[in-house]
Amino acid sequence: MDIDDILREVDPVSYSIPSETRDLQALTRAWVAERSAPELLEWPADGIFERVNERIKKQIEKIEDMTGDMDPKTNFALIVIQTELERFKFLVRSYLRARIAKIDKHTLHYLSNPTLRARLSPTELAYATRHQALLHNHYLSSFLSSFPPQLQNLNDTAGNISMIDSPDLDTAVFIRLLRDALVEGRGTDSDGAIDGKAGDILILRWSSAKSLVESGGAELA
Amino acid sequence: MALPLPSGLVPNEVGFLCEMESVTVVPRQRLDTIDLLSGQTPTLRPPYRANLPLWLALLLKKQRRANIVPPPWLHPDSLRGVIHHEVKVDPLAFSPPPPPPARADARGNAHHPTRPSAYDDVALSPPFLSSCTSDAPAGALPYHWFEVAEILLAHAADDIPSASEVRSLLRDLHEIRAAKMRKSTADLEQGVGGVLHLRGVGAMELAESRAFILGVVEGVRRLGASAEATRREEEEEGRARDEDEDDEDDDMFG
Repeated sequence: MDIDDILREVDPVSYSIPSETRDLQALTRAWVAERSAPELLEWPADGIFERVNERIKKQIEKIEDMTGDMDPKTNFALIVIQTELERFKFLVRSYLRARIAKIDKHTLHYLSNPTLRARLSPTELAYATRHQALLHNHYLSSFLSSFPPQLQNLNDTAGNISMIDSPDLDTAVFIRLLRDALVEGRGTDSDGAIDGKAGDILILRWSSAKSLVESGGAELA
Repeated sequence: MALPLPSGLVPNEVGFLCEMESVTVVPRQRLDTIDLLSGQTPTLRPPYRANLPLWLALLLKKQRRANIVPPPWLHPDSLRGVIHHEVKVDPLAFSPPPPPPARADARGNAHHPTRPSAYDDVALSPPFLSSCTSDAPAGALPYHWFEVAEILLAHAADDIPSASEVRSLLRDLHEIRAAKMRKSTADLEQGVGGVLHLRGVGAMELAESRAFILGVVEGVRRLGASAEATRREEEEEGRARDEDEDDEDDDMFG
């Protein structure tokens, strides 16, 4: 506990958002963002998923302790706790599955350079590398080996056409502004700008929205 | 393993999100506080009101342990006001969303939990804004209005005054706004600017027409891709020429 934590407990302003609500808000926001964004987003750096997983584990242990106790009063509390646990597990699972779907779709793209690799969590990186190696080995043993050696790679960039498929960053997304901001977007006929208020819903290209979302000025909706 | 759903929240997922909205309940039984992952629930003591997440309130309602207090914007008068605004006052845009919630602190400042403050880097957004409790303002529809109203009408109709009237008003409202949603893509005919504005739209309305709107925007972008590339090149050239001229001017005066 450092001075910030103490201040937080004393100060009624910041105390109004308890840490559990902040975590749930962050988790929900990460899930919605991952479901809506056309590309894989950064694995959250503040350790929210590790923290939530730890707490889910503890909650499961608590349920195991409580199931021995068949008092009707604790029984109802048990139902509530289990329902909530399932909701949390759904959020975490859906988030991870949405990420795996994106990794599966553009594996080589996300493995192609260190900046993109840094977006993956250690487990995801292990999954992507092994999965890609397995797949390539399978292709090699089933048909690629009968090709000339220079045609056996999956990452050719000859003739200015890259074999590595990458997500389309100009896909349109919905965002919600979290504070008033001037939003600029690139368009087909003209580039536009809108003076947005907090809470407004906007449609624009992900490539235009990305910096605003990453700075915390907006979230995906 | 991988999620087979398309990009963007589908209606089921929006329904899941809206169950995190807080609603106000009047308990009929005592219930001690429960340690949940999202924090402790308040101790329920009849007849004191308490705010709970919607999923828990529904569970209590089904077991007849509590009654749900409908949010003020679900009252027939409030809904009629919104319909009046949508049809008469501003027939082109959606009615404005509720004002951001404000809370007082001990020093006389008004505090807005939607905005990141010095201590809180996390800004709250729906479904964590308490826009469906009994303190919510009347006359404005919150982000999850449609889902919350549908769920309350389906599972707690006996707690809602004049439920059948509310139901028919909601249906009118939904149709009026769906027409506006479809019309919003008509703006695309006069050329596509960078940003499209949908102030006051609801989550379920977005989920319903997400595929349609994104499809239109995407299609227009693909069709205009080469025109856009030409335009950008011309702008680049124009800018380069301007800079050259500026340089020449500098030379003249320098």
